[in-house]
Amino acid sequence: MAVATQSGIERSSVIISVFSTTPGIGKTITAINLSAGLAHEGYKVCLADLDLQFGDVLNYLKLTSVNTVAGAQRAMLDHPDKFRVSDFLTEYKHADVKFSILPAPLYIYDAYQTDVQIVTNIINDLNYFDYVIIDLNSMFSALNLAMLDISTIINYIGVIDFLPALKNYKIGYDTLILFEYEESKIRLVENRADSQKLIEGGDVERLLGEPFYHKLPNDYPSVKKSINTGQPLMFAAPDSKLTKSFDELVGLYTNRQRTVLPEEKVTTNKGGFFSGIKKFFGF
Amino acid sequence: MAYKVVVVEDNRDALDKIVHLLRKSPDFEVVATYQNERAALGQAGMFQPNLFFINVNNESMLNAMSAFVDTFSGAYILGTLEHWDPFIAEKVSVAGATGCILKPFSAGDILEYVQLYSIRGQHKPAKLITFFSPKGRAGRTTLAALLSLLIADKTGERVALIDADLQFGDLPMFFDLAPKRTLVDATQDIKLLAPLTLAPYFYPVKEGVTLLSSPERPEYAELVAPESLIEVIMMAKNIFRYVIVDLPAGFNPLSLNVCRIADVVFITTMINSGFEVNHAKKTMEMFDSQADERRKVHTVFTRVNPFTEEQRQKIADQLGYPVDVMIPNEYRMISVANSGRLAQGLPDDTLLMKTISAMAEKIIDAGR
Repeated sequence: MAVATQSGIERSSVIISVFSTTPGIGKTITAINLSAGLAHEGYKVCLADLDLQFGDVLNYLKLTSVNTVAGAQRAMLDHPDKFRVSDFLTEYKHADVKFSILPAPLYIYDAYQTDVQIVTNIINDLNYFDYVIIDLNSMFSALNLAMLDISTIINYIGVIDFLPALKNYKIGYDTLILFEYEESKIRLVENRADSQKLIEGGDVERLLGEPFYHKLPNDYPSVKKSINTGQPLMFAAPDSKLTKSFDELVGLYTNRQRTVLPEEKVTTNKGGFFSGIKKFFGF
Repeated sequence: MAYKVVVVEDNRDALDKIVHLLRKSPDFEVVATYQNERAALGQAGMFQPNLFFINVNNESMLNAMSAFVDTFSGAYILGTLEHWDPFIAEKVSVAGATGCILKPFSAGDILEYVQLYSIRGQHKPAKLITFFSPKGRAGRTTLAALLSLLIADKTGERVALIDADLQFGDLPMFFDLAPKRTLVDATQDIKLLAPLTLAPYFYPVKEGVTLLSSPERPEYAELVAPESLIEVIMMAKNIFRYVIVDLPAGFNPLSLNVCRIADVVFITTMINSGFEVNHAKKTMEMFDSQADERRKVHTVFTRVNPFTEEQRQKIADQLGYPVDVMIPNEYRMISVANSGRLAQGLPDDTLLMKTISAMAEKIIDAGR
């Protein structure tokens, strides 16, 4: 599959953005484990941490790096001709699994200065990877919308244990539809699906009018182990039900015949709401 | 009993208009009029007035407001304004006067303003308290809501809650409200509003507490201009003794602007993975880099477990700043908020309520 984008590049990599409308419900864990799983299958993967102000990808993998999105932006502005995105990537490697990471800025000030178009260009430059996984934060900001625009798949994740969270999941889904993202592109993923709760998954599906694409079980001990050891679940808790569930999700996303139709076009929204919200959020 | 009114107004036409309308109403008796503040301060006492109208667009009259408050301590002292001016209104409030009224006004307006400013509480400047959290899911909204209820209950003064988490505000849901007017309406109408007409945009939650709701849908967030939100907040300070603002997560023009004018900013963090303390540290450093002399930024950690001084020190060491407030976990909180019954609160004897109650006392003491 090759798709013409705004900047005229033929993109061949699959971009999966991990998005939610409630913070703290497992976006980063999902992004990391998708990346590790895809890398394990032999794909070339880059994980971009675009939760710019408070990104946790490096934290959760116990990695440090001074090369971040902020540095990439500076380099792209200063020496566009010499810019190589690979200079700003950090590698995660364990056993036979390795993937690249584009870390979030170290300083809030840098995060605040980030330009949506430049970040979009940087992500476009990651085109030599098979998969680009993008970890976003939980709002409809100009940056997030730009990333959702160029994504092949929106992995829209929610935890439905709390009424306000359900409201925000439903409103967020309606808003994605309102922004004319194809329903086929939005994959509803329920996290902590089997935890004890007041709200039933079936009721949520009725409310959304869509079934969940995948359900991740509640497995706090394994997640805790993963964060404490700085390893993806496949190494920190190889036999856990959550690890298996992530493996299934990776399976769904690697079956290109089923998940990515050849005629599927990447939407590039210009102007309208997008530019309005860009002005409002200022980044 | 009619109010005994003194009008202090340097503009002859304006003075005539005010006196004319007051004379038509049985509720008011004009006992004296003055064209400068010195004459009024010297002589008005002879008539035992209990209501003043003072033209605060006139700078020397504005500067004399605190002298009027001292000299006529039992009286209602209203500043009259040509157009609403948040900075003049602020000065009037700092002087300890009753408040401001927009010209032209009717006899009915006067009675309503006196009522509005009386139930507001002490004639002192409002305290603006904001709740900020780096990433969200920190208990920020719950804490803001419970604190509002407790402050209103303890002081009998008016408290406003403003849900400025524009895309995904949860406060209306916590209180099971579906307000017809939201921040979108208030910010778009603000140029045409005065305290009396802004007040109905706030919906009663419980005795003494009202809510200005977040927009109904995330895409309406862009309709709320940050500078209009500031105007709404500044006007709300005239109607309420405490204005509590729940902000969206992270740094954005809106949260930064509101924090800039706040008296107190609570950086709210809940520890899950442990890295939240680092996020709070980054946040504190960001606020530090643009701080004025007042130390107004306070750290709050929610669901602290174990709830001990040792744990407080442990967090403080990692944070590099003191932990100003620690809030314990309370499992019942989720089901209370889930059912839209937050206004009923929790039993007073729970550790959570005791802790937030102590926090409320501190805020009240600082505002006295």
